Amino acid sequence: MSLEAKPITFAILSVVVILIGTFVTMFLPLMLPSTQPVSDYIKPYTAVELEGRDIYIREGCNNCHTQTVRPLRTEVARYGEYSKPEEFAYDRPFLWGSRRNGPDLNRIGGKYPDSWHYVHFKDPQSMFPKSIMPAYAWLASRKLDTSYSYKKVSVLGYGYTEEEVNRQIQAYKAKVTSNSYAAKQARDAVTPPELRDQLTEMDALIAYMQKLGRDVKQLKEKEVVRHISQTAPDMIKNPYEGDSRAVEEGAKIFKNNCAACHGEDGSGGICPSLRDNVWKYGSTDQDLFVTISKGRPGGMPDWNNKLGTDNIWKVITYIRTLGEGR
Amino acid sequence: MKDNGYDYSVVRGFAFSALFWLIIGLVVGLWLAAEMVYPKLNLTPWLTFGRLRVVHTNGLAFGFGLAGIFACTYYILQRLTRTRIAFPGLARFHLYLFNIAIALAALSLFAGMNTSKEYAELEWPLDVVVVIMWVIFAINVFATLIKRKEKQMYISLWYIIAMTVTVAVLYIVNNLEVPVNLFKSYSIYAGANDANVEWWYGHNAVGFVFTVPILAMFYYFLPKSTNLPIYSHRLSIISFWSLVFGYLWTGAHHLMLTPLPEWIQTVGIAFSIFLIAPSWGSVVNGYYTLRGRWDLMRSNYLTKFFILGITFYGLQTVQGPTQGLRTLTAFFHYTDWVVGHVHMGTMGWVTMIISASLYYMIPRIYNRELYSVKLANVHFWLILIGQLLYTVTLWIAGIQQGAMWKATNPDGSLVYSFVEVVSAMYPYWYLRLIGGLIYFAGIVVFAYNLIMTARRGAETVSEAQPQTA
Amino acid sequence: MDWNAWSYLIFGTTLVVTFLWIIVHFYRPKRKNKVEEPKYKMLDDED
Repeated sequence: MSLEAKPITFAILSVVVILIGTFVTMFLPLMLPSTQPVSDYIKPYTAVELEGRDIYIREGCNNCHTQTVRPLRTEVARYGEYSKPEEFAYDRPFLWGSRRNGPDLNRIGGKYPDSWHYVHFKDPQSMFPKSIMPAYAWLASRKLDTSYSYKKVSVLGYGYTEEEVNRQIQAYKAKVTSNSYAAKQARDAVTPPELRDQLTEMDALIAYMQKLGRDVKQLKEKEVVRHISQTAPDMIKNPYEGDSRAVEEGAKIFKNNCAACHGEDGSGGICPSLRDNVWKYGSTDQDLFVTISKGRPGGMPDWNNKLGTDNIWKVITYIRTLGEGR
Repeated sequence: MKDNGYDYSVVRGFAFSALFWLIIGLVVGLWLAAEMVYPKLNLTPWLTFGRLRVVHTNGLAFGFGLAGIFACTYYILQRLTRTRIAFPGLARFHLYLFNIAIALAALSLFAGMNTSKEYAELEWPLDVVVVIMWVIFAINVFATLIKRKEKQMYISLWYIIAMTVTVAVLYIVNNLEVPVNLFKSYSIYAGANDANVEWWYGHNAVGFVFTVPILAMFYYFLPKSTNLPIYSHRLSIISFWSLVFGYLWTGAHHLMLTPLPEWIQTVGIAFSIFLIAPSWGSVVNGYYTLRGRWDLMRSNYLTKFFILGITFYGLQTVQGPTQGLRTLTAFFHYTDWVVGHVHMGTMGWVTMIISASLYYMIPRIYNRELYSVKLANVHFWLILIGQLLYTVTLWIAGIQQGAMWKATNPDGSLVYSFVEVVSAMYPYWYLRLIGGLIYFAGIVVFAYNLIMTARRGAETVSEAQPQTA
Repeated sequence: MDWNAWSYLIFGTTLVVTFLWIIVHFYRPKRKNKVEEPKYKMLDDED
């Protein structure tokens, strides 16, 4: 009797046939340590960051945001250093995603200050009118449930003791509830009064945001700073000084990239005003150029890759026309 | 129809379950499409896009898709084996368990209990229920096959067997997780491995839920509704073995240019190209079946569902491998193009074939004519136009989106910020919503037609005569 | 040739041979009637 008349033999043969490809492309890589390397410079999530990650999963953020920057020039320009396999050694599950309704988040950590995230989660359209992201203000009215935190890190094998987990939670709580917390104003604006001295789900989610890509960024930081401080002296003069067309173009670039933090008219918001005469990092065109192109601690991202030299000069030309900032 | 002892009650149950979950899944899909242009529609936590998208995909892939597959499988299985289903009671239990599982799945996903792994989002207690349900199904399939009266197995049965065993392997391996509590678990795989296992599963869920059983329906219902034998049984056999062998290698084409080892990506795309051959084996088989009888496209209302369905399958299986090529994936991946691609397969191929199969089965089960062939034709044109508007719009959107993401100034800097690209997509997203609404209108006509057939169709029986349009 | 090259070669050859065998097996003229029989049988069931 031939095969097509023997259903059980047929079923077994089918399993064998499907297991060949499965073995080569799936079981084999699982057994090779090189598929998912582990590295010293990548640290596991703290208990709070992990809780934030679980909220990210619960809310299905991965349905709109990827977490893998591909090694393509424009992608690196937009998001930052491309993703390396060792970064994901502690990711269970992985969260690479499959669709970019929103931007990639693998390098979001340290890109913006905490206050940016509080304002953005509360009402994304207040910063980007055409954004399609849902508002997540309600995350700030939910107290963070840490009752499973220790069990979670144990299941994941992060190696923290119960005391360490509690210490991590208390430390982060102390940070965000302190009066000197840099994002206090933004946090209080979204957190109901009765939860302001507690950890909320939004606090944890922001902790997670700030962890994404941080370890890789720290590794890169020294190099980058040196590189820019070497190139800056060559750019002595703003090539567009007094050019009215450059002002117009600069205004457009400002609106699309800077206004969300520095305000539509440059009068400030999450980030400092550009209309007063206060310049934290120096007031010459060269100072502004360095500030914009390489970023500053506490929230100013590095715009060199994204905007490029030419556009940065145009923005500076525009900023020079603002209020008392001249 | 003679009383041949076949048990159709479970076929009926699954057919109308499919219809129910189809409507639910599409309403959720429309809501999502509307949220893309009116973000204020993210009214409550459980209505936010992130939670709702998962309800949409699971509701349609598993609520509608699987119910349709179970309905057709229980029908085809009995007809091709000329045997009553082995355990009718167990099959009825399967029907109840399935609907309970899908309802619980929807509720738990609304509540945010999900594992984040695409098309495998259900938390572990529901995974256990799904596995039990599948075992019950498999027992009935194999028991019926063993006691069958027809010795030779027709190709549809091959595909049904392949689905039954493969889905079990896929689902169990990908869902291995360590529970933290009843509502939360973590995958046992980390990072790149988790990604690789997930897309091995994810792509083969497409292969063994959206392709293999749908081909089983195609190979059965196209000949039955036209009274023409399939062009070549031999060709279908060659296609079968190539397809089930090749599919399992291709998952990594979802992970091109990610930190997954490069060789897995290369193997994935190589086999994706290979899969064009067996896919087109089925397409050619379908077209050649109609050789000399293309008039049936006009005179037999079901023929055009099957032929358009297999056409979209053919386009889908060329588009998929093409967009996976490294240079093209760099441009298209993560854009709306891919959303368009998926919806051609689901709206154009899967739903076309399941709809037509239900049109074939329901009148025969109730022993009467279809309520209205005219309405079936209205249904056909609405879902065809709706689907084309939806997919073509998103392809164009994807091209623009990809181009804007990659646009650079002469000095190498980016021309557009992310949100500028979002703003440029609004016109497309409005059109997509309109396409979805037209499609939904077609499905409402479909549901009405089937319900009316069940309630009060014409009482006459057509003896193996294809109904004419 | 190293181990890798040999394994590629053997695996590739096995695949090609298996594939050719399947085609030859099912397409042999004397098997034609038997292989093609189910497609006619499925059409003449009772209804």
